Amino acid sequence: MDLTAPAIEITGLDKFYGSFHALKGIDLCVAKGEKVVICGPSGSGKSTLIRCINQLEEHDSGAIRVFGTALDDSLASLDEIRREVGMVFQQFNLFPHMTVLENCTLAPMLVRKTARAEAEAIAMRYLEKVRIPDQAQKYPGQLSGGQQQRVAIARALCMQPEILLFDEPTSALDPEMIAEVLDVMVTLAQEGMTMVCVTHEMGFARKVADRVIFMDKGEIVEEAAPEAFFTAPRSERTRLFLSQVLGH
Amino acid sequence: MTSAARSRTGLKRWRKDYFGSPGAALMTLFSLAALGAILWVLVDWGLIRATFGAEGNQETCAAGGGACWSVIAVRWRVILFGIYPFEEQWRAALACGTVALVILLSCIPRLWSFGRLALIWTLGTALFYALMRGGVLGLAPVNEQQWGGLPLTLFVFVATGVIGMPLAIGLALLRRSDYPVIARVSGWIIDTIRSLPLLSILFTCAIVLPFMLPGFLIGEKLYRVVFGAALFFAAYQAEIIRGGFQGIPSGQEEAAKALGLSYWQRMGRIVLPQAFRLALPATINQFVIAFMETSLIVVVGFMELLAAGNTAFKTGDWKFAYAEVYVFIAAIYFTFVFGLSRYGAYLEARMNTGHAKD
Repeated sequence: MDLTAPAIEITGLDKFYGSFHALKGIDLCVAKGEKVVICGPSGSGKSTLIRCINQLEEHDSGAIRVFGTALDDSLASLDEIRREVGMVFQQFNLFPHMTVLENCTLAPMLVRKTARAEAEAIAMRYLEKVRIPDQAQKYPGQLSGGQQQRVAIARALCMQPEILLFDEPTSALDPEMIAEVLDVMVTLAQEGMTMVCVTHEMGFARKVADRVIFMDKGEIVEEAAPEAFFTAPRSERTRLFLSQVLGH
Repeated sequence: MTSAARSRTGLKRWRKDYFGSPGAALMTLFSLAALGAILWVLVDWGLIRATFGAEGNQETCAAGGGACWSVIAVRWRVILFGIYPFEEQWRAALACGTVALVILLSCIPRLWSFGRLALIWTLGTALFYALMRGGVLGLAPVNEQQWGGLPLTLFVFVATGVIGMPLAIGLALLRRSDYPVIARVSGWIIDTIRSLPLLSILFTCAIVLPFMLPGFLIGEKLYRVVFGAALFFAAYQAEIIRGGFQGIPSGQEEAAKALGLSYWQRMGRIVLPQAFRLALPATINQFVIAFMETSLIVVVGFMELLAAGNTAFKTGDWKFAYAEVYVFIAAIYFTFVFGLSRYGAYLEARMNTGHAKD
């Protein structure tokens, strides 16, 4: 890990599902502390792209570096990268058989070998940050969707990662719960976390993103600062997408 | 709600459910009458007109006209311990107690840590073996061929589970391996074992295997048979666990991966605990079947509980009293299997705490 290197460096990334070309030669560089929002129509490959970063999907060719560590075929590089890259999922994916606190302490204790007392202290700190410390002893099934997603963010933070990936974190939420999750994400962004978010929340993109990336059909069509992206999109495809997302 | 009010609604509920219409009332009364008649026959035969005590014999029992429990009073040691040497049967009884104690201790959630369970089981197994086999601590040696009755049944059942369950987990994990060759080979092993009748596996292990194995691997017949039973158990249980795996959303393992958990951490903490929760009813079912199937080892020459019971009334004086012996054995099986079922229900309730939603 070299914290002076770019947080994420992707070059020439290709990914196939059978004969379907899901990612077509993607190049992407994310600096430390940068917030990048990736948007695009469904099936455009945006989730696949961020899932390649921590290898929930294996890519077929191209290179991925995280803080200078190249993802090669070795388990060691994969372990190192997964330790530094946290992820928040659309479906929360909390462990239903563990309490909120156990969800948060599991990985630090198993992966970072943190002592239980310390892991619990860290977990409580992050549960306070996402504003649900009082739910620590409950099971995920007893929480609302918004609360579950905030626990999922706290769980990812407990590993004290350098980078957080968000894979459509608000898409499975009831409308009234989206704000509470976005608020937490805004706070994280303001504190300088390196974030890559796949989301359709254009308000969030406008507010915190340093850069917005538009993907379509496995390619990066356009990337720009939010101001330019929303007011003067260069590509016809981007304009069409924006009119669909913002048009109502 | 006051208790009086509750009992009133309870009564109302009963009237609605069981006497809601003339047909329902008729069915209820008929069923009650039938149940009562059956219960009366059983009580009359088993208690009122029955003969108790070791002094009873065929004439006194026939005079009574009911069950002849004297056969149990006289022959219970043969039923429970088979041909285990008579003077040493206290050891067999203690061994049964040991197994029961180990099982009971293992059921207490507070003792559910790998270290504690391993300690309990190691000590329990050592004690059981020392008591049954002897040859240590001044106990006279008793060959495995002489083991019989309840301790043998319990030994085969417990050993089948203890060996079979890890095998099942291993097979199930291999079957969902990312490497197609491994997954397929594991699938073939499971399917092959499942395609064979248990009897043929037991025969093979008892009789054929010694011709095929090198001398040092042959071992005692009992252990070969237990291994065969465990293999059979493992093939079925592996499929039950696989069913559990399929009920877990793929996001669970992805989240564990994203957190950096290793393969074994993912399996041990995330996948297997959830798979077992989903597979619990079927798993208890499989254990019940395994308990019943211990009676099959009689075909390769072991006098387990049922076979020992059969010998109890095969000798002249008690030929007429087979029903009583079978009822007695049934009661023993019932005690264990009913306990197993209730424990399963307890586990289910316990695991469901906190899963109010989804």
